[in-house]
Amino acid sequence: MNFPKDLKYHREHTWVKVSGKKATVGITDYAQDALGDIVYIDLPEVDAETKKDAEFSEIESTKATSSVIAPVSGTVIEVNEDLEESPEIINEDPYGKGWIAVVELTDPSELDDLLDGADYERYIEEEAK
Amino acid sequence: MRLLVIGAGPGGYVAALKAAQLGAEVTVVEDTEVGGTCLNRGCIPTKALVASAEAIHKARNLKDFGVDVSGEIVPNLSRIMERKNKVVSTQVKGIRSLFKSWGVALIEGKGMLLTPGKVEIQKKDGSVEIVETDKIVIATGSKPARIPIFPFDGEHILSSDDALNIKSIPKSLIIVGAGVIGCEFACIFRELGTEVTMVEMMPGAISTEDPEISRLLEKELKKKKIKLLTEVKVERVEGQHDGIHVGLAGGRELVAEKLLVSIGRSLNTEGIGLEAIGIKKGSRGEIEVNEHMETNIEGIYAIGDVTGGILLAHVASKEGIIAAYNACGIDKKIDYSVVPAAIFTSPEIASVGLREDQASEKGMDYITGHFQFRALGKAHAMGEISGFVKVIADKDTDRLLGVHIIGPHASDLIHEAAVAIKAGLKVRDIADTIHAHPTLSEGLMEAAEDVHGEAIHVPKPK
Repeated sequence: MNFPKDLKYHREHTWVKVSGKKATVGITDYAQDALGDIVYIDLPEVDAETKKDAEFSEIESTKATSSVIAPVSGTVIEVNEDLEESPEIINEDPYGKGWIAVVELTDPSELDDLLDGADYERYIEEEAK
Repeated sequence: MRLLVIGAGPGGYVAALKAAQLGAEVTVVEDTEVGGTCLNRGCIPTKALVASAEAIHKARNLKDFGVDVSGEIVPNLSRIMERKNKVVSTQVKGIRSLFKSWGVALIEGKGMLLTPGKVEIQKKDGSVEIVETDKIVIATGSKPARIPIFPFDGEHILSSDDALNIKSIPKSLIIVGAGVIGCEFACIFRELGTEVTMVEMMPGAISTEDPEISRLLEKELKKKKIKLLTEVKVERVEGQHDGIHVGLAGGRELVAEKLLVSIGRSLNTEGIGLEAIGIKKGSRGEIEVNEHMETNIEGIYAIGDVTGGILLAHVASKEGIIAAYNACGIDKKIDYSVVPAAIFTSPEIASVGLREDQASEKGMDYITGHFQFRALGKAHAMGEISGFVKVIADKDTDRLLGVHIIGPHASDLIHEAAVAIKAGLKVRDIADTIHAHPTLSEGLMEAAEDVHGEAIHVPKPK
């Protein structure tokens, strides 16, 4: 399993990639693997507000329906519309083409609560025990 | 005993047959066609259209089932309508032949009460006949509600009656009212290729159902790209050269080729002589009846939609049976404690018994169990994994209080729960009964097990 070093991770298995005030958000390799084949994602609307630690999207796989928890608070400025027709992209490339939304951050200090790749990997190993 | 039944819908025709079986001399008066709204303008024709819509859906997704198709999948509306009409006419013939078989006389015309023992019939051929009778069942039903803001023309501004007879598939359709009828039509038209936008005053789709069910339905509508605008009021409707313009509160305007209005039903209580003989009506104009389905006038019964209760065909039928028994001198009372409801959206919805809010209102301490269809092998094999079963049980006695299902074949699955509730069974009775594998019915068993945290096919809670 792969946890790129340039991303920050939320304990509910989402990631952010920050560029200035903008943060691209998606679910982790661990999350896509645990969900299995993803068949649908209920994308947030552009202009919707996200709140850190609250649901901002919902994913359905062949075995489960799961909330996607926002890793940061902000305003959705872009969503990945390719996922509407091809949600399986999330399984194939969770950190790349499988990004979910771009959020404009309202509180960049929240990023300090997130984990780096190595810590997140340790966290999921602990959780699996 | 002579019994006259006014209206041959699912209430009236069933009352007539039951009374005939009990030995009464029965006459039925019907001004359109036997079967009433249910058979001619409701349940049955819409389900024929649902079947065509499902066929289109399956055809478009044959690849998923390993079937290659060459050529395009094209809905042929005139053939779809022909099939629907054939389904209806077969059922109409069936009722007519049952009438013949049981010796029920059918007079085609409009009945009006003159006295508690005399009914005037304006026959279809223009003649008038006065029929004398000992007892009467009023079963005149209901029709789509019309309010002046919607200038119905049957072609661009449609009631549900009109929508069943459209001549071409509209490119775009606005549906006002996201209740049962609106949502069923939304799913049908979307499958035919129409762009559908629904407008609803309430906060959600089919708000009479369990909120979790409504939420999932809304997501399923979104998947189909059916737009749903909630908590919004229509202020203005106008036909222009480019389509029907619908002005919403707040200034937004929608435009579509056609508009379907499904905002409820009004009761057929006018022009049938209720006032002449002093039949008591309630505040909404509904005929008041007691638990024997008898009105304030002895020997005159009323059943079905016209009594303003639960506007469902199967409730009208049961009321018709109760009225027939009582008219024939056998004491029976109506029991509404177990009334299953089925909604033919995609996926289907069905429910029986209490919702959580109703259990709370009754001051009951309850627990719930859930089970997702996507955890069942059968659902995967069928390729229909969306939906869940929700069970509500009395916390102290473990008695089953309510079951709410959204998912494949929900309308068929609900009856196991209906029998269980009627029999006063416990959740454990369902959980402990072996259910055949692989079936969708395993969903109810696992949801029952989940009430006690004992479901097998769910991950360990964190």
